Amino acid sequence: MPNTAVWTLRETLIVAVLGAVFGVLYLGWVQVWLILQAILGAVTMDVVMGFWFIVSIIAAAIIRKPGVALVSEVLAAAVQILLGSPAGLLLLVTGLVQGAGAEAVFAATRYRRWSLPVLMAAGVGAAVASFAYTWVRFDYGSLAPGLLILMFVLRCASGALLGGLLGHLIVKALYRTGVLSGLAIERDLRTAHV
Amino acid sequence: MLSQLHPLPKMALCLIWIGASVLVFDLRFQVMTLTLAFGLLWGVERVALWKLLALMVPFALFGFGFLTTSVLFNKESGFALQMAQEQAMTSPDFSPGLVLFARALACGMVSALFALTTDPGQLVRALMVHLRLPASVGFALMQAMHLVPDLGREVQVLRMARAMRLGKPVRRMPGPREGMAVSIPLLAFAIRRASRAAVAMEARGLRPGQPRSQMQTQPFQKADWVFLGLGVAFLGLVIRVL
Amino acid sequence: MSEAVRCEGVAVRYLFATRDAVGPLTLHVAQGERVLLLGPSGCGKSTLLHSLTGLIPTAIPGDRRGGLHLFGQAVESRRPADWADRVAMLFQDADQTLAGFTVADEIAFALENRALSPAVMVARVEKAMAQTGLPTDWKGRRISTLSGGQKQLVALAALLAQGADLVVADEPTASLAPGAAKGVADLLLAPGKTVLIVDHRLGPILDLIDRVVVLGRCGRPLVEGPPGAVFASHGATLAEQGIWTPLATRLRLALAGQGVEVPAVLQVGELVPHLPRGLDLAPMLMPAPCPPGPEILRLHQADCAPPFGPVVLRDVSLALRAGEVLGILGPNGAGKSTLAACLAGLIPPRKGRREGPSGAIAFQNAEAHFSADSVQAECLAMGVPGAKVAALLADWGLAQVAGQHPFTLSMGQKRRLALALLTATDRWPVLVLDEPTAGLDHAGTTGVARHIRRLAASGKALAVITHDADFALSVCDRVIVLAHGGVQASGPARAVLRDVALLSRVGLAPPEAAPLLDWMETQERIAC
Ligand SMILES: Nc1ncnc2c1ncn2[C@@H]1O[C@H](COP(=O)(O)OP(=O)(O)OP(=O)(O)O)[C@@H](O)[C@H]1O
Ligand SMILES: Nc1ncnc2c1ncn2[C@@H]1O[C@H](COP(=O)(O)OP(=O)(O)OP(=O)(O)O)[C@@H](O)[C@H]1O
Ligand SMILES: [Mg+2]
Ligand SMILES: [Mg+2]
Repeated sequence: MPNTAVWTLRETLIVAVLGAVFGVLYLGWVQVWLILQAILGAVTMDVVMGFWFIVSIIAAAIIRKPGVALVSEVLAAAVQILLGSPAGLLLLVTGLVQGAGAEAVFAATRYRRWSLPVLMAAGVGAAVASFAYTWVRFDYGSLAPGLLILMFVLRCASGALLGGLLGHLIVKALYRTGVLSGLAIERDLRTAHV
Repeated sequence: MLSQLHPLPKMALCLIWIGASVLVFDLRFQVMTLTLAFGLLWGVERVALWKLLALMVPFALFGFGFLTTSVLFNKESGFALQMAQEQAMTSPDFSPGLVLFARALACGMVSALFALTTDPGQLVRALMVHLRLPASVGFALMQAMHLVPDLGREVQVLRMARAMRLGKPVRRMPGPREGMAVSIPLLAFAIRRASRAAVAMEARGLRPGQPRSQMQTQPFQKADWVFLGLGVAFLGLVIRVL
Repeated sequence: MSEAVRCEGVAVRYLFATRDAVGPLTLHVAQGERVLLLGPSGCGKSTLLHSLTGLIPTAIPGDRRGGLHLFGQAVESRRPADWADRVAMLFQDADQTLAGFTVADEIAFALENRALSPAVMVARVEKAMAQTGLPTDWKGRRISTLSGGQKQLVALAALLAQGADLVVADEPTASLAPGAAKGVADLLLAPGKTVLIVDHRLGPILDLIDRVVVLGRCGRPLVEGPPGAVFASHGATLAEQGIWTPLATRLRLALAGQGVEVPAVLQVGELVPHLPRGLDLAPMLMPAPCPPGPEILRLHQADCAPPFGPVVLRDVSLALRAGEVLGILGPNGAGKSTLAACLAGLIPPRKGRREGPSGAIAFQNAEAHFSADSVQAECLAMGVPGAKVAALLADWGLAQVAGQHPFTLSMGQKRRLALALLTATDRWPVLVLDEPTAGLDHAGTTGVARHIRRLAASGKALAVITHDADFALSVCDRVIVLAHGGVQASGPARAVLRDVALLSRVGLAPPEAAPLLDWMETQERIAC
């Protein structure tokens, strides 16, 4: 079946539901981050950052259509704001930037390739976008170059592992539960096997 | 009383207030916001005290991170300091961690005030009627909103089935291993429910782009605008005084 | 009179499946005709209904061959959602029919999609709620806080409110208590309506249908005609396919085996005058009495509540003995499933005590049991030895679907798999089965009854929740009736199930076999 760009009703619903569920999980992750930060110090944010990209990667890998990565990430951010995230309204911008980073990578493959390296690249894409954003927001220009490089590398690695790899594992586990039948991912995997 | 108001003006006021809470980095403002929301819920809406306290737990949990860094480790998390610098109206007498903690609670309570006094169905309907939200997106949101409270019930069923398989009694609180074990089935449940709802909606005639009507739309009333106006005026006054 | 449904050589195959799920078959439904589609579990009834308005292949991936017309128009000329103006569909799983909102939102949803005026909708919603007996203060209640049967009632109210030209209903009464089921059947199948209905249990609908179409195991049509004629002349064929037939038909076939000839009628009452004296009916209707063993489980003045819900049962005291089967009956929402979780020890009572080992439940929603990615893997995960899996699946009629994903099974297959998983191993001394026969055909039901008696004989304590009084009579030693937040009656199955006044007071009905029980009673009195 050709990949038309229009989302079906089922896909819209799945994106909404994933956004809601991960919005809740992201809030829990804020707590993990803050505790780790207190123990480990400043660069922790870059280490844990990748998990906040995961919904865009999971949703996009399941539905495989334009816009999914961006919308799911923004939706998750909106849910967090409604639930009272300490980061406040600016989180919406954060979500937009991160989602756009992942989306850009998928767009570069023209929504055709969904292998693990592509998903990890999407995690890196989100990391790069969010790094640029935090550079502007937190005035990274004043930091030492060595620290900056460390932060950048850590964040990209986190995006690739906590975002891309973990997302891939979750998608695989979900695939085994059978709930993805009839979605783009099943068509692609099954036809690849035949 | 608050539940009789139209959801849109109420949402506007709550969003404005949350926005102010983010911008005004002042402990007194956050505490006042928290007290006000709490007071409205407890005094006017008659929500049980234990329920309110239970509601504050998750908000307190995120805020807690700021508090622990600020109090236990006796230093500020970089994020908190940064947030403090970013804001225009800062009173430096309080530790930023404490302000952020109070802000998490305050924003959380305002959100809770809105959520507890608003029927999600009415909200989505109002969005569809007045802000031209497409019906498929509206019902997708409504489905997501109904899902969040149902996740708890589903977790309970998953845990019972798992306990039976393992031949162990169900524990009061799930441990980390159990949490991991139910997380994927829970996600699968959410997706399955979305898929089923999509078929159900289609079978009952939901067509994107076609005109549809609403059984109950709440009309705007004078009280809604009075409430919004008074709320904004009060907020302005408070900010002036601080 | 024009035709509402015309299927010509329709066959459906799911995506990636290797054989057709149903068909090829030809089926016509005239306007104003009420047609019952009957067939063994897994023969493709639900699949056929899903393809009627084009949900297969549009929303559910699959492939349909053959010509399908509704009201003279090709189905694929409109989208499935467009057909909602003329066709109302009730899915087998109430969770599938409902989109998960509040009661009023659900009932009004289809009407809103047709852009009716608010006043009309309010009137229709209120009427539908009144007809199905839903309390008016439930409008804002969330669907997920309802019991299984209550959900089905809401789905039915939504169906009725739609006021469609053609109603397609897949087992509309499977989880309803007899009183509610009868009321719903009368509404749904009122004369003059055009209805295509699928059901396994015919009690409440038998005299409300015009024509029966029977599908065989392979999903092809077997016989069709008016119900009386079909059951009279093809009773043996249907029974052999495992299809439900009226008790009178089954009894006639069984008696014929013993050399006793009785006339071909549909109601047991008409059969009674023809029964020869001295006939022993007990083995056909009831379990052989066996002496109960030691007490295994006891509830002391327990208050039971569903998870995150209010207390629905107060002050329940109850004991279960080894080798005993306890039947739990009651209207929808009485708290049967809540009591089940408490009896099995999975949810502790809010007040009072439970003493005894923890056990297992067969959940009312069979899907709650599934965690693996194939039927076979499910058995292995439950601890069934690899060498025994094939025999187990064959015993429950699941051999053909062993490699399938549990969630793609038909409703009856899901139920049988869940029961197979629980009854295969020896792990739990206490077993609670929540509506084990809902959605099962006759062969499935007798299979369940056999396993229940086998487990009881091996010294386990069992509790069986059911809406089917005949099933309760056939497997239970003792029966309790739950209603109004407590136990209303308790005693030997045969005695409680003949208490017509009590049963009708709580919205239940006596078993189809009641006239036979009365007859047995008079026989015994004469003998004394
Ligand atoms: N999504 C699916 N993918 C593959 N096979 C399926 C799917 N859904 C159903 N089947 C198979 O198709 C066959 C027909 O299923 P269907 O649900 O139509 O049966 P049914 O006659 O309604 O049975 P029941 O009385 O138990 O509800 C079954 O063998 C089932 O396992
Ligand atoms: N979370 C909840 N909040 C409020 N009421 C609830 C909740 N969960 C269940 N109930 C109510 O508890 C009652 C008992 O539910 P239960 O599922 O035990 O009924 P049941 O006897 O099994 O009914 P059925 O025959 O329909 O399956 C029902 O009236 C139901 O509406
Ligand atoms: Mg079926
Ligand atoms: Mg129940």
